[in-house]
Amino acid sequence: MDSGFITLVTMYLIASVRMATPLILAGLGEAVSEKAGILNIGVEAIMLSGAFFSFIVSFFTGNLYLGLLAGIGGGIFVSMIHAVLSIHCKANQTIAGLALNFMVMGLTSFLFLIVFGQTTTLPSCSVFSAVKIPLLSHIPIIGPALFNQNVFVYIALICIVLTAIFFYKTEWGVNLHAVGKHPQAANSAGLNVFAIRYFACFVNGILGGLGGASITLGQLGFFMENVTSGRGYIALVAVILGRRNPVGIFAAAMVIGFSQALQYNLQTLGFAIPTQVFSMFPYVVAVIVLFLSIGKSIDPSALGVPFERNKR
Amino acid sequence: MKQFGKSLSFLGIAVLTLSITIVLILMVGSNVDQAFSSFLSGIFGSFYSVSEVLVKATPLILTGLGVAVGSRSGFINIGAEGQLYMGAIAVTCIAFWLHDLPAMVMIPLVILGGFVFGGVWSAVPGFLKVRFGISEVITTLMFNYIAISIVGILVRTSLKDPSNSLPMSAFLPDGATLPTLMSSTRLHAGLLVALISVVLVWLLVWKTPTGYQMRAVGLNPRACKCSGISVYKNIILSSLISGGLAGIAGVCEVSGLHHKLLEGISPGYGYIAIIVALLGKNHPVGVVISALGIAALQIGSLGMQRMADVPTSISSIILGVVVLLILARKSIFRRLLTDE
Repeated sequence: MDSGFITLVTMYLIASVRMATPLILAGLGEAVSEKAGILNIGVEAIMLSGAFFSFIVSFFTGNLYLGLLAGIGGGIFVSMIHAVLSIHCKANQTIAGLALNFMVMGLTSFLFLIVFGQTTTLPSCSVFSAVKIPLLSHIPIIGPALFNQNVFVYIALICIVLTAIFFYKTEWGVNLHAVGKHPQAANSAGLNVFAIRYFACFVNGILGGLGGASITLGQLGFFMENVTSGRGYIALVAVILGRRNPVGIFAAAMVIGFSQALQYNLQTLGFAIPTQVFSMFPYVVAVIVLFLSIGKSIDPSALGVPFERNKR
Repeated sequence: MKQFGKSLSFLGIAVLTLSITIVLILMVGSNVDQAFSSFLSGIFGSFYSVSEVLVKATPLILTGLGVAVGSRSGFINIGAEGQLYMGAIAVTCIAFWLHDLPAMVMIPLVILGGFVFGGVWSAVPGFLKVRFGISEVITTLMFNYIAISIVGILVRTSLKDPSNSLPMSAFLPDGATLPTLMSSTRLHAGLLVALISVVLVWLLVWKTPTGYQMRAVGLNPRACKCSGISVYKNIILSSLISGGLAGIAGVCEVSGLHHKLLEGISPGYGYIAIIVALLGKNHPVGVVISALGIAALQIGSLGMQRMADVPTSISSIILGVVVLLILARKSIFRRLLTDE
């Protein structure tokens, strides 16, 4: 292989990792939530809220770490509204998520206009700069892509490992499965179904908020109306593609990130292929994956079903 | 007494929503009186503004009706957006393919085409749901993005108007355009199509055995299985009709309003449709009322932005808040609903 090819691959890999980071974070959160039986279509709202609050706080304080915390807080706030509606009120989770998308989309752009008014130049804040990890960043190809990135990439990588351990190596992970698979049985076995589901939603809020913050504080450095532009829905696709397995979600997000990186590149190179061919790609693959998974029941059987203690 | 409590709880929701709206208006620093009067004059101020409400309500009625038919049989259709775009593709392809046909033949043909395209786009997730147990929430959502991408590809390649540098198709032949109902407004015959669909759906779902079976499947699939009503057949049928109606919405938008295919013909009608169906309690008449209400809310908020400097995003906040409150109604007003 000549060095030109390696540089090209490295370049695409770096871009893919950047694109994939918000999807990995939000996707992991959604996976935790879905494992516990809560289907949250409102990932978009969680991310948007995270993106908004992280930007506002770091803009006014000048401190990126405070911004990051605010992003997490914004995510938790939205996710907990969904949690209360779907766990306490036993409402339709899909509709609750959708309504949250509407509300948060309106609310963030409304508040943004109140704070900054109609401006021609978007207010901006600094972004997290890349931190080079010694030794690891010298590995060819993978090094620059994974170990010379901003803090969000490292958080995402750590979260993949942590959720994988949590899902498959701890008793908590088993409890989470149980609550999503058969809440009645979990309840009889003495688990607190409500508490575990609230906990899962809480984690979803943290990770989704981080995912949103990674867009404003990790990539753009500014906020605008609908800045997440459907990434929350794409994160849902990553969860399906990755079958709620943390490593799978990572792989799925990388595939999606790669197709997005390719899309931008072809656009600038002026290729005749419409970029929609590439933006459609992840969804088509996801549908194919769903086809292939026919017969192997992978969905938590109580996904989207409210739990009522006194009902059978 | 229970009925009274129920109405009181809805009144409570209205009051809560109204107070949130007032807080939002005050946050912008605008005058509440002025904001409300500009909201009302934005809707009822002129003949044109009223017609705009109806223009916006047309696709909402059709897609909302579609979602409602789906939910009656337990098919949660998040994909009205994609089905609308499939209908839009259908009308454009048919209109250019058979461009010589007179309007008398062409209009019914494109409506049928839109119904079939949208219907198939929704029946596939329906089939996957009943045959393999794959959640329709996820599949319909993904089908949205695929449909939108297909439109993006088509308007840049085979359907592109070569004389225009922007990604859009040429104007449809005259025979394929729906007539305007009132001169100097954008109100088109799509409204009539929507209202006819409302009547037809009401007849089908509430007055025929097929409709009875569809509703029964939504209420209790297991009981249906035991008493010989096919869950399989009815869910596929209702998903077909559900998507078909959204497809007709796409036909109306293209041949009634834009007269050509372009990206972004729907500013999220397919998603608002789910709210329309929810607020309309999945009943045709309710759907019409809630579609008109939501369209009026959006048009009115435009007026509010023009005259009182309140951002239009307030309409989407209100919409979200109303739905969240309705979902939480039984918990918030538990006292009211259970006592006595």
